[in-house]
Amino acid sequence: MKDIFANLYNKVTKFFHQAEESTDTSAKDVACNRLKLVLMQDRTNLSPAIMDRMKHELIDLLSKYVELDKELLDLSFEQEDSQMALMLSIPVIRAKEESEIEELLKLEEEVSEGVSEEIDSDEEIDDDETTEDDNEEEDSEDSEDSEVVEETTTESENITEDDSKDKIEEKTEPEENVEEEKKPEPSKKKSSKGAQV
Amino acid sequence: MAGRVIVITSGKGGVGKTTTSANIGTALAKGGNKVVLIDTDIGLRNLDLLLGLENRIVYTLVDVVEERCKLKQALVKDKKNPNLSLLAAAQTRDKSAVSQEQLKDICSQLKEDYDFIIVDCPAGIEQGFQNAIAGASEAIIVTTPEMSAVRDADRIIGLLEAREEIEGYKLLLNRVRPNLIEANDMMSVDDVVEILSCELIGVIPEDTGIITSTNKGEPIVNDEEAMAGKAYRNVARRIMGEDVPLLDLTEPKGFLDKIKAFFAGLKGKV
Repeated sequence: MKDIFANLYNKVTKFFHQAEESTDTSAKDVACNRLKLVLMQDRTNLSPAIMDRMKHELIDLLSKYVELDKELLDLSFEQEDSQMALMLSIPVIRAKEESEIEELLKLEEEVSEGVSEEIDSDEEIDDDETTEDDNEEEDSEDSEDSEVVEETTTESENITEDDSKDKIEEKTEPEENVEEEKKPEPSKKKSSKGAQV
Repeated sequence: MAGRVIVITSGKGGVGKTTTSANIGTALAKGGNKVVLIDTDIGLRNLDLLLGLENRIVYTLVDVVEERCKLKQALVKDKKNPNLSLLAAAQTRDKSAVSQEQLKDICSQLKEDYDFIIVDCPAGIEQGFQNAIAGASEAIIVTTPEMSAVRDADRIIGLLEAREEIEGYKLLLNRVRPNLIEANDMMSVDDVVEILSCELIGVIPEDTGIITSTNKGEPIVNDEEAMAGKAYRNVARRIMGEDVPLLDLTEPKGFLDKIKAFFAGLKGKV
C-alpha cells in the first residue's frame, strides 16, 4: 500500500517537475558557456590549440620547481569587470627537495651550454644521483619528470604540425626552443568609457 | 548649441538598430529636444520607412556630400513632430559614396543647431560602420540575447574602445523574451551584461507591436500602451540624464505555475 502511494507521489512530482529538470543543462547555460569561450578566443586571438600549447609549456616550466598534478592543472581567462585575467590553477602534489630542483636547473644549464655535450652531461647526472642518499625516490622522480617532457614534446609537435609552423628543433630540447608564438594581448580595457552616453 | 552625436550600432544585422534609432529619436523629440536622425546605411535605407517619411525625401546624405543641395534642404521634417528631422541615405549608391571626414563635417555642422544627432549605423564593421562612428562621441550598442548578436556586439565594443573620439557607450538589449528567460531557454539581461561587461541603457521586450508600427510608419514610442514603446521612452529619458529604473518585464504568474513551483520545491526536499 505504501509502495503504491510512494509510486503515485513520484509520478505526480515527476510530472510537475519536468519543466524544472531541463534546467540542469539549460539552453541558457550552454549559450553562456559557449559564448564565454568563443569571446575569450576572439579577444585574445588564442585558439584552443594554442591555449593547450601554452598550458603544456607552463607545465614544463613549473615541473622544474614543484611536482604538480598535470591532469588537474587549469588555465583559463576570466573577466572581472573591466580587467581580463589569465587564471592558472595548479594543484601541487608535493614540494620538491631543494637538491632535486638544483639538479634539474643544473641539468638545464648544461644542456643550454653545449648541445654537443648533451649526452655526456646526462650520464653525469645519472651518476650523481646514485651517490645521493635517497636514490629510490630520486629515480622515481626523474622518471616521472622525463615522462612530462615526453608528453609535452609530442603535444607541441602535434600542434606545430597542425599550424605547419616551426616544427624543427623542438625534439631535442623542448624547454629551450619552444617559441613564444603569441602572447596574450593585453586585451581591450573596457569600463573606462562605459560611464557616459 | 553643442549637440550630442550618438551612433546606434550593433555589428550584426537585424537586431533592431533602425527601429531603435527611429524610436529613440522620436522619444527625444517628444521630450522637447531638437533631433536629427541620420541614416548612414547607403544603398539599404530604411529609416525613412520606419518614420513614414519615404514619400517626402527629395535630397539625401549623398546629395549633401556632393553639394547638390544645402544640408538644411536635405533635412526632412517629421509629420507629427517639428522637432524631429531626418537626413536620409541614398538608395542608389553604396557606402563608398561618403567618407569619414564628410560625415564628421556634417555632424559638427548639425551640432550647432540640434540637441541630438542620432546616427543609424549599417550592419558590419566595414566602411559603413567606420563612416557612421566618425562624427559620434557616444554610442549605443544594440544587441539581442542571442549568441551571434552578443558576439558581434563584443567585437563592436572592442572597435569603439580603440577610438578616442568615442567618449562613452552603453548597451541596449533588444527583443528580450521574459518567458524564455524564465524557462532558462534564453540568456538573461544579467548574463549578457556580465559577458559584455558593458553598462546598460535599456532593455526592450519583444513586442509584436513593432511589426505593426513599422508597417504603419509610426514609431512605437507614440503608442502609450505598448511595452516596447514604454521601454524606448525610458531609454530616451536615461539619455537625457534621468535616473529611470528598468521596466519589470516578467509577466504575472498564473495559478498553474504556482502549483508547479510548489511541487518542484517539494521534490527538491524529498
